[in-house]
Amino acid sequence: MSGWPAIRLVAQRELRERLRSRVLLATTLVMLALVGGSVALQGALSKTPTYRIAVAAPAPPGLGAALQRAAHPFDEAKVRLRVVASPAAGRRALEAGRIDGLLLLAADRLVFRSDVDPKLAALAETAVSTLRGRLPPEPELTTATLHPPEKQRTEAAMVVAYLGSLALLMSLAFYGEWVVTGVVEEKNNRVVELVLSAVRARDLLTGKVIGIGLLGLGQLAVVAGLAAALIVAGAFDVPASLGGNLALVIPWFALGFALYAVAYAGAGALASRQQNAETAGQPVTYTLLAAYFAGYLALSANASGAIAQVLTVFPLTAPLVLPARSALAGVPLWQHALALGLVIAAICLLIRLAGRVYAHGLLHTGPRLGLRAAWRLVRQG
Amino acid sequence: MLEIRDIRKRFGEVEALAGCSFTVERGRMLGFLGPNGAGKTTTMRAVFGLLEPDSGDVLWDRQAIGLAERLRFGYMPEERGLYPRMRVGEQIEYFGRLHGLDRHAASAAASRWLERLGLAERSRAKLEELSHGNQQRAQLAAALVHEPELLVLDEPFAGLDPVAARTLVEVLRGETARGAAVLFSSHQLELVEDICEEVAIIDSGRIVATGDLDALRSASERRRIELRLDGAPQDWVPDVAGVAVADREDGGLLLVARRDVAPEDVLRAAEQTATVVEFSYGPPSLSELFLELVER
Repeated sequence: MSGWPAIRLVAQRELRERLRSRVLLATTLVMLALVGGSVALQGALSKTPTYRIAVAAPAPPGLGAALQRAAHPFDEAKVRLRVVASPAAGRRALEAGRIDGLLLLAADRLVFRSDVDPKLAALAETAVSTLRGRLPPEPELTTATLHPPEKQRTEAAMVVAYLGSLALLMSLAFYGEWVVTGVVEEKNNRVVELVLSAVRARDLLTGKVIGIGLLGLGQLAVVAGLAAALIVAGAFDVPASLGGNLALVIPWFALGFALYAVAYAGAGALASRQQNAETAGQPVTYTLLAAYFAGYLALSANASGAIAQVLTVFPLTAPLVLPARSALAGVPLWQHALALGLVIAAICLLIRLAGRVYAHGLLHTGPRLGLRAAWRLVRQG
Repeated sequence: MLEIRDIRKRFGEVEALAGCSFTVERGRMLGFLGPNGAGKTTTMRAVFGLLEPDSGDVLWDRQAIGLAERLRFGYMPEERGLYPRMRVGEQIEYFGRLHGLDRHAASAAASRWLERLGLAERSRAKLEELSHGNQQRAQLAAALVHEPELLVLDEPFAGLDPVAARTLVEVLRGETARGAAVLFSSHQLELVEDICEEVAIIDSGRIVATGDLDALRSASERRRIELRLDGAPQDWVPDVAGVAVADREDGGLLLVARRDVAPEDVLRAAEQTATVVEFSYGPPSLSELFLELVER
């Protein structure tokens, strides 16, 4: 059997056999628990927030009580009011992080450090209106910040970028290891001789990579999808647009997996019969780690720099770097397109090369084949 | 008809095949014999495209063998192997489908073969849970599930108990009767002599004899003579040119004679010495022929 019917049969077998293994279920549950747990943790930490507000002297009588009443509807938040001698002293306290907001009643202003906290703004507005005996919707306060509100977003973006690429790295290595293990097992228990008498090596390789890849994609889609949905729904204290960036790891897992899994399969085919799967896959795992750290260093140094841009489109690093850089600094459309094109070209090339190595390597029963021997096989076809 | 035409294969310094030719017709069973390392497995792998001969042709019905032809072949490799953690029934079905059967036909054929080989109750067990003998049966089912037109079995009798061996003989006879061409290698020469009409004997990568077994035996330069004498001296040797003693035991005597020696001359010489209780004359057995051909 050849072509898609054979690939589909092989992929179906991989899916069916591995769906029966408890490892998949267990890891999915653990990953879901981690995402759910971080929501619960954030919820627990922000259960009864306390807003620290300073007001420049003189403070009108009843302000503290009015603020407290206004805060009550917001998750039963508490307000701690302190009176500072002057607006300047209040700014210093705000800068130092001792207070969350500075109320300047003379100027009808509410000042924040870098980001406007809408809850705090709302409750201060309500309290001041009540105190002055006026009715909404006439606004009493203007909000302002000491600094432009960039820093906060960058921190959240960094978390998404680095956690996203870490999740990608771990998924690629985890499912890559499955590919190596599967290939080495097939080779070691000799079933491959029977399979290859009916199926082309290239089709066996492709089917195996697709089958295992679909599992990984499904698992990552469930986990990353949940995280992205929670971000968009506002469960995390990060901008909703980052949910889209997180979702980007899913297609890039598919591409990165196709690339690295084919390499993993080739490495497995070259292994000796005595060699175990972990050591067989090592060269590929090291390449993957090198790609991850190169991307990490380049993005930490300057997410918009030349090196980061090159690594965004270079096939070996693109799957790990592109989603992260998209969250950090944004990636122009043409670079998305270029990276996509280059990765797909690299996958096609690698499938051809690995397909040749695969057929010969699988039936080779002696010691591990070195890179030179593998190259000879590639050239012989 | 499987036709192997002068295939040659080198692995570095080693010449694994140095001109190997024979044919297997549909509905015939050919025993493929040879010492270890003679090139049997290499030849079988060449049939399945698992290695490419340096020169020569492997043909099925006079056509070069491609993947489409191979799907109609069944194979039992020398080193057995199936998926250890896969269920037996699903596994046989999987190999049926890999050979082009649809889901329904593959499932039905898998059940039929597991029933026939006495594995029906273990169909949902994982392969690794089966005994060694039952794993062998599953391996046979995997080779047969798609009703192959050519069946190639590498040492199928190795490690089988007599009951399992008899089942296998019945299965192979059934496949031959169905019209399949059957090629199998074995070291059990008596068994091959029993069930095969044709053999191919390979030595150091060369076919040294192939064809109808009886014709090969008759064509041998040697004849075997078995004698039992009463009252002959212990060290008696017939005084006939071209006759030698091969074995001597308890008054029984096994002689090897050149083909042109007249048996009457040997019988007359024996009768002059003692009373002849038993006398038989004929072509060599397959074992004798084998040793004669592969002697170095």
